[in-house]
Amino acid sequence: MLHRERIPLLWFFFQAVVVVAWCFTDMETGPGAGVSTQPNGDRFKIEGRAIVPGLKTQDWVSTARILVEGEEYVGFLRTDGSFAVNDVPSGSYVVEIVTPAHRFEPVRVDITSKGKMRARLVNYIKTSEVIRQPYPLQVRANGPHTYFMKRETWGWTDFLMNPMVMMMVLPLLIIVLLPKVVNTNDPEMRKEMEQSMNMLNPNPELPDVSELMTKLFSGSKGSSKAGSSSSKGTRPAVKRR
Amino acid sequence: MARLIWLCLKCIMLYSTVQAVFEDQVGKFDWRQQYVGKVRFSHFDSHVQSSKKVLVATENNVFASLNTRTGELFWRHVDKTGPEGNIDALLQHGQDAVLVVGNGRLLRSWEINIGGLNWEIVLDSGSFQSACLVGQQDTVKHVAVLKKTIISLHYLSNGHQKWIENLPESETVDYQAVYSGGNGEVYALGVVPHSHIAIVAYSLEDGEIIKQISVEAPWLSNIQASCSVIDQGVLTCVDSATVSLYMLDLHLQSQMTQIPLQAMLVSFATTGEKTVAAVMSPKNKTACSINLFSGETGRRLLDTTLIFNLDPNGGKPEKLYVQAFLKKDDSVGYRVIVQTEDHTLTFIQQPGRVMWTREEALSDVVTMEMVDLPLTGTQAELEGEFGKKADGLMSMVLKRLSSQLILLQAWIAHLWKLFYDARKPRSQVKNDVTIENLSRDEFNLQKMMVMVTASGKLFGIDSKTGSILWRHYLNNIPSNPAFKLMVQRTTAHFPHPPQCTLLIKDKDTGLATLHVFNPIFGKKSHISPPPLPQPILQSLILPLMDQDYAKVLLLVDDQYKVSAFPSTKNVLQQLQEMASSIFFYLIDSSQGRLSGYRLRTDLSTELIWEVVVPTEVQRIVSVKGKRPNEHVHSQGRVMGDRSVLYKYLNPNLLAVVLESTDLHQERSFVGILLIDGVTGRIIHEAVQRKARGPVHVVHSENWVVYEYWSTKSRRNEFSVIELYEGMELYNSTVFSSLDRPHAPQVLQQSYIFPSSISTMEATLTEKGITSRHLLIGLPSGGILSLPKMFLDPRRPEIVTEQSREENLIPYAPELLIRTEWFINYNQTVSRVRGIYTAPSGLESTCLVVAYGLDIYQTRVYPSKQFDVLKDDYDYMLISSVLLALFFATMISKRLAEVKLLNRAWR
Repeated sequence: MLHRERIPLLWFFFQAVVVVAWCFTDMETGPGAGVSTQPNGDRFKIEGRAIVPGLKTQDWVSTARILVEGEEYVGFLRTDGSFAVNDVPSGSYVVEIVTPAHRFEPVRVDITSKGKMRARLVNYIKTSEVIRQPYPLQVRANGPHTYFMKRETWGWTDFLMNPMVMMMVLPLLIIVLLPKVVNTNDPEMRKEMEQSMNMLNPNPELPDVSELMTKLFSGSKGSSKAGSSSSKGTRPAVKRR
Repeated sequence: MARLIWLCLKCIMLYSTVQAVFEDQVGKFDWRQQYVGKVRFSHFDSHVQSSKKVLVATENNVFASLNTRTGELFWRHVDKTGPEGNIDALLQHGQDAVLVVGNGRLLRSWEINIGGLNWEIVLDSGSFQSACLVGQQDTVKHVAVLKKTIISLHYLSNGHQKWIENLPESETVDYQAVYSGGNGEVYALGVVPHSHIAIVAYSLEDGEIIKQISVEAPWLSNIQASCSVIDQGVLTCVDSATVSLYMLDLHLQSQMTQIPLQAMLVSFATTGEKTVAAVMSPKNKTACSINLFSGETGRRLLDTTLIFNLDPNGGKPEKLYVQAFLKKDDSVGYRVIVQTEDHTLTFIQQPGRVMWTREEALSDVVTMEMVDLPLTGTQAELEGEFGKKADGLMSMVLKRLSSQLILLQAWIAHLWKLFYDARKPRSQVKNDVTIENLSRDEFNLQKMMVMVTASGKLFGIDSKTGSILWRHYLNNIPSNPAFKLMVQRTTAHFPHPPQCTLLIKDKDTGLATLHVFNPIFGKKSHISPPPLPQPILQSLILPLMDQDYAKVLLLVDDQYKVSAFPSTKNVLQQLQEMASSIFFYLIDSSQGRLSGYRLRTDLSTELIWEVVVPTEVQRIVSVKGKRPNEHVHSQGRVMGDRSVLYKYLNPNLLAVVLESTDLHQERSFVGILLIDGVTGRIIHEAVQRKARGPVHVVHSENWVVYEYWSTKSRRNEFSVIELYEGMELYNSTVFSSLDRPHAPQVLQQSYIFPSSISTMEATLTEKGITSRHLLIGLPSGGILSLPKMFLDPRRPEIVTEQSREENLIPYAPELLIRTEWFINYNQTVSRVRGIYTAPSGLESTCLVVAYGLDIYQTRVYPSKQFDVLKDDYDYMLISSVLLALFFATMISKRLAEVKLLNRAWR
């Protein structure tokens, strides 16, 4: 325990102090990030339409964007919900419609070098699998985003169904109701009960928790119902005084 | 059956790790500020008299509509970064705004009320020069676009091209402006620098050249910079050399009229029939005055003076945007937006009242730090009690009592204030945070965010409310700067003020300057930093402190000489003692060289290792060390069989990211090197074939997580490397890089990630007990909090008893993005460039700031709030249950007594 606490300190002082400072040598991303597309190659247009059921387009188009392969190409939605992303070279792209309020499924669009278009479902695991989607794209929002967790609300049923409460209530019921149902003065019945109690308590050497508790509390004030056996003796004496 | 139970368990476990925002927590401890960037074009929407919109197009490729009453955004469109999203021109007509984007590549028309696109067309290639709206008899139907050699006309309704024509003599004449006066002609204005202006008039109908004129203008070199065409075809130019205004009627005259004036900035605006020029001229050192001049006569209009007060911590005015309107008595009224050098927009109404300001410099935050707030007087008193040495029992007791008394006094004062405020109407009670009443809260959750922006403006922002508490503009920033912000002294050393040092380096020359300031008040420190005549290669902050508790900053120049700041005798002596254990590294990415140096006692350096990466094959992209303020709580992981797997916690480990120079998708690769920074020993090397960058790396504890693009499968992949010592620790008391004979065990696993990412950072807490999460900025604007548990190379493919014992999640190739894990719910952050994490005083809580175009601040609880009561804690329930129990015992006691009494009587 002691040495564990000492370790961070020692790290600081004793051992080689390479201050791994964030390096100040410049790390510009050099050219090449955008080289993969030839400037003279043909450029194509990805077209489609986004639909949010039950909402007018003007309520949500201003917050929406079309992202092609991350932010490599960006498009915007027209006032009628349709879109076109211009200047896209041939290749295979994941087209996403992002809005903070609605959820759209992404679509993969393949463009051949001749400009033929095909849309299919995105599958990152089996990348070559083709499940065709309509092109020009028709993307329908499948509900709002769920950003929030539900708070646990408090209700009587939750409270009663809580296992802790059940554990408390059931024995209480047994304690209160059982003496009324079963005649405890009957010696046969008592014997039977003792037997069943022994069955429940298979290890007699182990000190019983409930016994321990009663011993503990019976010394002090025994105001509860449970500690009646000892208080029975003392209480009348007090009264008589 | 066992499988089913396991599944259930897994579900429970997964849900328990879910960390999400509750709906009622919205805005409780998080805030977002949205920015647009440095404004390039601005247009007041004036087609409706009551309109309160101003359209702005910025250098950050953002097109937005601002509310002129409050300065807030109506809507905003963020195009891609770089020249392809560059906005070249902004025109507005009625409800339509026309943008030319990407050096004349795209022509877009926006509907400005709802912020949607009308149409977008691709233009012919050619370098863009100018664009204008073309009307005929007050109805605007066309847009003219002028490029280097061609002019084209498009319909405003759908963008289709009407005609396209070549420009005459385009080799000698530099065509820079296009104009139409509404009479069926389109004028292209070209300039031969320092000689004359060439004007070509085209017919609107078919694009035929009607006439060509040339006007002498030997003072003019650039039309766009100094001229604008105002209504009725008057070309107005400002000559800054002679400070005068030139006017030319395009229809009639061929001679320019000169009007001398005294001005810094000029802007034109038209309302109704009248055109006015707003002229800003310096009044004195702290204020400027703005006056209106009539466009026709050049005379100053009466009662139009407006005073603009310069912020002493801001820059000089740079641009002026004027909104002119006709008042009821037919005189011209106006409002202006003043843009200053520090990218601040200030909106001023006529008597000189500032309606709002926008600090657009914050759209380009480069680096930031969070600094603890200072203690209040009473808190400092308490702290001081523990700091002093014990001097007798009696005095200690007295001291204790007195400090308790002070606390009581403060508490009563607080109560009194609460009571006093409660009587006032709610609107009057203001909880303004000012620098004076700033103090640390109980759990150190409120901090000062010191932000450094690319424009050279520094900000101090209160992390709780997001209000800007101080600002400071550095006006001697080089054009291509690199910044590094370091906290030299925290607020913990009371009479000494906290101290931050900003290293500003010119990337072109390598020369650097230091700016030393107080991070709480933003004031420049009286300590004068040393002059740095040599280019600086590396800077490092040492855990050594001088007698004033300031950490020592070491600067390495290009002669490999080391200078210290502060460089007092005490520091130099400490450095001499420590020199043999101070190592640092340098990177030369152009030569692919990574070298390690050691400090000698005379503050010279000695090369001890060197790693050369062949630059023709691959290049060094980034180098990441561990964060110096990171704590690791547990030295190892307990395995399923109760043995311990010890972590390899090398504080000197560097993760070097390499990318291949060959970008062909079959041959490109991404490499990662784990190098010990002291010895230069390569601990591990991993190569991802058929992969390319951009690579994002997080390096912490004993793990490195990196993300790259797989060209083969066309997807983003995450890879995690974890290092372990094994079942035994070699030297459990201290880690030394020089004495580690055994190589660590390396585990690695990779996953598919269904989105590209913008940036990545790990959460950080006070003691490192809380589990770690990765905070991932996505291009969609969400910030995903991904438990590190999912990126664990020990995730088993086949579930065994032991892995179940360890709570390992079975391996699944794809990581999921769940929107519940977005810490910023629908408050998207555009173009996240960095995420800053800082520990708070609570172990469970990590403070997060995401910055990019927007700034978003929140708190995260990676292991839930285990050390504070939940904020939905049901005080009512617990107190009612307690009360009920109390009464139940009372009643049952009474009943028992009655029963006993009855029994006794029996």
